[in-house]
Amino acid sequence: MTPPLVSIRNLTLEAATARGTAHILRGVDLDIGRGRIVGVVGESGSGKSSLASCLLRLLPTNVSRIDGQIVFDGTDLNALDDAAMNDFRGKRIAMIFQDPMTALNPLFTIGTHLVDVLRRRHPGLARDEAMARASAALVSVGIGDAPLRLRSYPHQLSGGMRQRVMIAMALAVEPDLLLADECTTALDATVEAQIVALLEGLSRGFDGSIVFISHHLGLVAQLCDDLCVMYAGTIVESGPVAEVLANPRHPYTRALLACELDDHAHGGRLVSIPGEVPDPVALHAACVFAPRCSHAIDACRASIPALREAGPGHRAACIRFEELA
Amino acid sequence: MTVAALLAFDRVSVVFGGQVQALDDITLEVRKGEIVGVVGESGSGKSTLCRVLVGLMAPTSGTVSVGGVAVRTQLTQHRLAFRRRIQMLLQDAVASLSPRMTIGRALEEPMAIHSLPRAEARARLAEILRRLGLARDVLTKFPHQISGGQARRIGVARALVLGPEIIVADEPTAGLDVSVQGELLNLLLDLQRDFGLTYLMVSHNLNLIRRVTGRIVVMYLGQIVEEAPTRELFDAPAHPYAAALISTNPAVDPDKRLRQIVLQGEMPSAVNPPSGCRFHTRCPVAQPRCSVEPPALAEIGAGHRVRCHFPYSLDPRRH
Amino acid sequence: MTAPRSALRLLRRICASFTGTTGFVIVAIVLVAALFAPWVATTDPDRLDVMNRFAAPSLAHWLGTDHLGRDLYSRLVHGTTVAMSVALSSIAIAFCVGTLLGVVAAYLPPRLERLVLIVFDVIASFPSMVLALAIVAVFGPSTLIVVIIVAVTLIPHFGRVARGQVLSLKSAPFLEAERILGASFPRIVLHHLLPNILGPLVILASMDIPVVITIEAGLSFLGLGVRPPLASWGTLIQDGYQYLSDSWVPVVVASLALAVATLGFTLFGEALRDAVDPRIGRER
Repeated sequence: MTPPLVSIRNLTLEAATARGTAHILRGVDLDIGRGRIVGVVGESGSGKSSLASCLLRLLPTNVSRIDGQIVFDGTDLNALDDAAMNDFRGKRIAMIFQDPMTALNPLFTIGTHLVDVLRRRHPGLARDEAMARASAALVSVGIGDAPLRLRSYPHQLSGGMRQRVMIAMALAVEPDLLLADECTTALDATVEAQIVALLEGLSRGFDGSIVFISHHLGLVAQLCDDLCVMYAGTIVESGPVAEVLANPRHPYTRALLACELDDHAHGGRLVSIPGEVPDPVALHAACVFAPRCSHAIDACRASIPALREAGPGHRAACIRFEELA
Repeated sequence: MTVAALLAFDRVSVVFGGQVQALDDITLEVRKGEIVGVVGESGSGKSTLCRVLVGLMAPTSGTVSVGGVAVRTQLTQHRLAFRRRIQMLLQDAVASLSPRMTIGRALEEPMAIHSLPRAEARARLAEILRRLGLARDVLTKFPHQISGGQARRIGVARALVLGPEIIVADEPTAGLDVSVQGELLNLLLDLQRDFGLTYLMVSHNLNLIRRVTGRIVVMYLGQIVEEAPTRELFDAPAHPYAAALISTNPAVDPDKRLRQIVLQGEMPSAVNPPSGCRFHTRCPVAQPRCSVEPPALAEIGAGHRVRCHFPYSLDPRRH
Repeated sequence: MTAPRSALRLLRRICASFTGTTGFVIVAIVLVAALFAPWVATTDPDRLDVMNRFAAPSLAHWLGTDHLGRDLYSRLVHGTTVAMSVALSSIAIAFCVGTLLGVVAAYLPPRLERLVLIVFDVIASFPSMVLALAIVAVFGPSTLIVVIIVAVTLIPHFGRVARGQVLSLKSAPFLEAERILGASFPRIVLHHLLPNILGPLVILASMDIPVVITIEAGLSFLGLGVRPPLASWGTLIQDGYQYLSDSWVPVVVASLALAVATLGFTLFGEALRDAVDPRIGRER
């Protein structure tokens, strides 16, 4: 078996806040396979966006500690200095943000954005050649009138069009790893469907890996190969999408699935998870989900459960998943 | 239908600055005790619909009436009585609270405005807070110190103190995590059952609309394109836009997933809407007639209206 | 929450930072000097002692004497009263009238709004000195005239800021929520709009205090404002400037008072702005 593209081990991220140290990631272990689309789901505060920030090392200034390993194709990113990290950012790792308007510079045309990205990736690329490639990149993301769009400024494009430009920029880099953080959340339903269809189509011709961060389980189920469920800075369950969704082993994953307002009978009670997301400042010596878990027993509050094998490639961090199955 | 409508839009249009047609010829009735959902994308006019209904905005033409009396008349003659009758939950719950007022004071606003008898209103508020599961210590906090879920519940509490008959909810679960949205919706449904409330609920979340509403209005570029009982709409959407919207909602369960109808392009500008049927520029089954002749909103079944020359021509269930 | 206790809490928040404390101390000293001038001063500020001109600082005359042998310290203290009464009263008038006009303008139909703005522009473009000359020519110089001239010239200042603030908040969800709850227009403006636009206006007012003090000094210098022998910081600087070759003390002392007061009111204004805004400063 080929080694995964990215192997994250015991990734810990802490930040200083007025109320004390916030534990944003509490020892995350995750493998991102080559050519796989990995969906990361979780509620707000689960640390899913921070995971992406760690991979790019674009961290807020109040981060007080980052620990563990992010082994990217044999290199530990956490051991690199900023200059060495720059060789990965925008070359081997690219990112699509939720809000393209803030990620695009309003003073530059779409063409300038794309040419900059291409020339950074291929130093010495002639401007004409870069323009031609930029035009091709726009065509590949379904923007028809590429020559006109290259001369447009970000504000002249619609939201869906801007997100297509972001994807074109990310793919022009020919990255090994593409991070997409809630990249369709701000879009309308029919435009979201277009972007997801585009990503689905592109992923077939793209041999890199994609990390697709979303709070939308249905979308992840449709698009991704693997699924990783996060809760309060930890991964509680991971594995192949179909397997995890058909056979969820962690009580949190089950609760999350039950909350989905799928086509259950009309009129019944809606499901919610009682209690609140744990305070990031609190330290845990037990299962983070235990306070809200309907199956929690004393043993759950005694120690932190490790991710254990629950099937082929399927892992869950619950000490009781065998008996609850 | 012999029951008189509680809410009625009669040929309502709203035009901004003489050019942007935000609402075009809306006719809609809602009976007492109904939960009606409004779906559509940004720019479809669903927020304008709510704002006209609660009198934040006057229609350019047509009449909106509540209980058979025009909203405009009620606002000039019995403003406070009208406000007690109809309440609205705004989309951004945190920003709906005065930033320099503690939550406690914000909750007393409706009592002060309507000079409700203090003791009675306080008791009612305490009961509502208990039902909403809001802790007492929230009362001394400022809006920026509370969570989105708490702000939502405070908005609901503030509306309920007035004992309204009708609640207009603009994206009631916006900003809420899935783990808590169920709780809020259960609460709204309980209140509806206990007090016989009427809801007009706007959302882009089709699953939510499907789960809680009895009837759905689908809007596109300021027009109603389809109106149908909820189950009927989800089982067999008649308008191609409704069909596409339903199909783009990916289900977690692969067996229940529909064939996706991915529409081309984006919603055109309301400043210069397309000729004929407004949807024809993106419609996968458009015919030559569609670009010329605007379809009327025609009744095709009991309580089922559709604005399409060729209803049922696009079916997301057919693989 | 009782009023004294909330005032105390506000003060504690103002003094939470070093700059806030500095500002508060300076403002407090200036206000005490202004309010209790007859007791704070050591002698009558107008008592002449021509035999004792330009005396060096001593126990009898803490800061020495001026060209007529008057006690400089006492004149400085009494000058504070003049400076403060002119500054506070003219700014209070400009604040109230300007804010009122600004809020009203923001809610007027576009045509009338433009009319108010044109009036603001006309006032702002009119040189205040020329205005002062014209008015003084009619009514004769007096402190009251200074107050009125300064107030009128500052009205557009407050009006424009108030209007801008209202425009940025006019469609804020919390104001719409109040309308939906049934709040009347005056209630929305007084209870919800004003508290949220006052911050920038308060800091504007505190920043304007030193500006007004200098305007008053300028007008007094031209003989259009405070009439001699009444002491004001402006006349003190002016007198000292005329006799600079005899002694540098009066100019430096009076200028220093002006500079320190300016700094104090600016720091205090900033701290006050932060203290009244519950969103700032709490997390730090």
